[in-house]
Order: sequence, then structure tokens, then C-alpha cells
Amino acid sequence: MIVLLGLLAGIALGLLLDPAVPLWLQPYLPIAIVAALDAVFGGVRARLEGVFDEKVFVVSFLSNAVIAALIVFLGDQLGVGSQLSTGVVVVLGIRIFSNAAAIRRRVFGA
Amino acid sequence: MSLLAELFSARAADPGYADAAARRAARGEPPGTRGRGAGVLLVVALVGVLLAVAGAEARRREPVAAQERARLVKEIRARTAESDALRRRADAARAEAERLRAAALAGTDAGHRARRALSAAQAAAAAAPARGAALVVTVDDAPHGAGDGGGRVYDQDLQVLVNDLWGAGATAIGVNGLRLTATSAIRGAGEAVLVDYRPLTRPYTVTALGDPERLSAALAGSAADRRLAALRDRYRLRYERRVRSDARLPAGTVPEPRHARPVEEGERGR
Repeated sequence: MIVLLGLLAGIALGLLLDPAVPLWLQPYLPIAIVAALDAVFGGVRARLEGVFDEKVFVVSFLSNAVIAALIVFLGDQLGVGSQLSTGVVVVLGIRIFSNAAAIRRRVFGA
Repeated sequence: MSLLAELFSARAADPGYADAAARRAARGEPPGTRGRGAGVLLVVALVGVLLAVAGAEARRREPVAAQERARLVKEIRARTAESDALRRRADAARAEAERLRAAALAGTDAGHRARRALSAAQAAAAAAPARGAALVVTVDDAPHGAGDGGGRVYDQDLQVLVNDLWGAGATAIGVNGLRLTATSAIRGAGEAVLVDYRPLTRPYTVTALGDPERLSAALAGSAADRRLAALRDRYRLRYERRVRSDARLPAGTVPEPRHARPVEEGERGR
């Protein structure tokens, strides 16, 4: 419940404030979202398996976002930004899918 | 490959949670009790903000891209229309100049001679349209699947053919309706054959004005004829000749004189 409330509050906040994303931050936005989704799916899976831990959740979210942004930043500086972005998305995408598969097994038993 | 192995195994993808659970179990706390705190709320709210901002950003950016594209398309159309209008004006001015020149030269014997010399020079420079009987040579790639990848017409094939047609006495040559001038180049660029940097589409039709009988006789057995016939036999390239009694070729693009310039009013007669 608290999760849904938080999510809705965040979306409402984002839509209401509608902050203009500065240009230099725009390449990191999609990566940050994918990293956040990875943390969220990991948290949901842990919750379903009964091993959820708030500290692990918060730390994994922050570290995911920071490391993903760092990799993309480094890639931009080295001139391979788009390739590294692709790499980050692929790795996080695989994790998201495996977590989603675990959640699916838990919820639907299939 | 541990990533793939992890994907297909049902193990926890993030061992952090398992470690934390193990630590809690070691400390004797019941599992799954912590997890409804402010941190979760904060992180989830942050995710919500991220999603909302990204959605708004994507919505904001899409119409900009569409507008930009529409603007570019409009500009292309406008510029094309502009250049068409300019070309029409240039054609009209050229016709007018031609008429005035004819009128000015019609009076005297010297004028007649100058006019004949001019039209001969124009014909030689491919600056005027030409028409007459012609030998038409059609060359095309082999049909798909035939041959072993060699069944394509290359720029060299057309070069050799055009050179031998000039050698056979053609007075004007056009490839796919593009008139060849003294400075025309037939080149290959990747898959395409270009004439004066304009890409041709298959099949390649080479129209050579001149006496068809004589052209045909002179072409038979020439290097181009042997080469194309060999390609036809070996790779099933298309190569055929026919005669047209009335073919028309447009004027070629005559290079602008780069160093000549019109005489200024004050300099005249000096």
C-alpha cells in the first residue's frame, strides 16, 4: 500500500512540478529509469520471497542509479556513450526480466 | 556467461537481500519485518518522479521533432519550386537570347557563317538538343539468381561501350536520357552507376545518334561488342541493339566558363 501511495505521490509530484530537465542531464534520464526499475523489481521480488530489507533496497536503488549514470558519463567522455548506454540497458534489462520471471512464478505459480 | 546462467536459474538475482536475511536470522530477528519505512517511501516516490518527468519530457520532445521534420519538408518543397522557377526563367532567357542572336545574325553573310559555326560548335559541345536516327544499345544486369554474382553492369562496361560508339562515329550520345558532353564522366559509386554524378536506374539505355547502319557495322567486333557479348554469354547479362528512326536527346549541361566574363560597358571597344 505504502509503495503504491509513494509511487502515485511521486508521479503526481513530477507532473505538478514538471521540472525542466537540463540538457546535460537528459542522456541520464532513461538510464536512471531503467536502473530504478531494476531496483524496484528486485525489491518486489525480495518482498514476495519474504527477505525484503529496506536498507538493501535503498542502497541498491541509489548505487544502481549512480553507477549507471557514471558508466554513461564515462562513455560520453570516451566517445562510446551510446554503446555503453546500450550495454547498461542490456544488463539491467536482463536483470529486470529475471526478477520479473521470479515474481511471475511467485504470483501466478507459472 | 554468469549473467546468462543467472538468468536461467531461479536463484536470487540480487544476493544482497539473501545476505541481509541471513544476517537478520543470525541476529535472531524474524524475517521480513523491516520494510515499511520512510526509505522505501522515498525511493518509490523518487521512481515516480523519474517516470513522470521522463514521460513529460518524451511528450514535450515528440511534437518538436515532428515540427522540425514538417518544417524541413516544407523548406525542401519551397526550394525545389524555387529552383524549378529559376530553371524555367533560365530556359526562357536562353530561348530569347537564341532568338535575338538569330535575328541579329540573319542580316549579313558573315552573320550566316557565324551562325552556322555557332550551331556546329553547339552540336559538338552538346549544348543544343539533338534528334535523328539512332542506334540504341540496351544493357542490363543479369536476372536475379543467374550467374555467380558477376552479372552486374559496371561503370567500365558503359565507358567502353560509349567510347566505342564515339569511335564508330556517333554524333551525340545519351545514357538513360542524360546527354553526354565532352566532359561527362561515367563512374561507379558502390552499387550505382553515375553519369555526371547523377545515378542511373537499370536498364541502361545508350542512345547514339548517327547513321544506324554504319554505327552498327562499326560497333560489331569492337572491344565493347566483344566484351558485352562475352558477359552476356557467361553471366546472362542483357545486351541488345536496335535501331530507332527518330530519337531525341536533350541538351547536356554545358560547363560554365570559369575565366571568361562579360565585357563591361566602359571596356567595350578598347
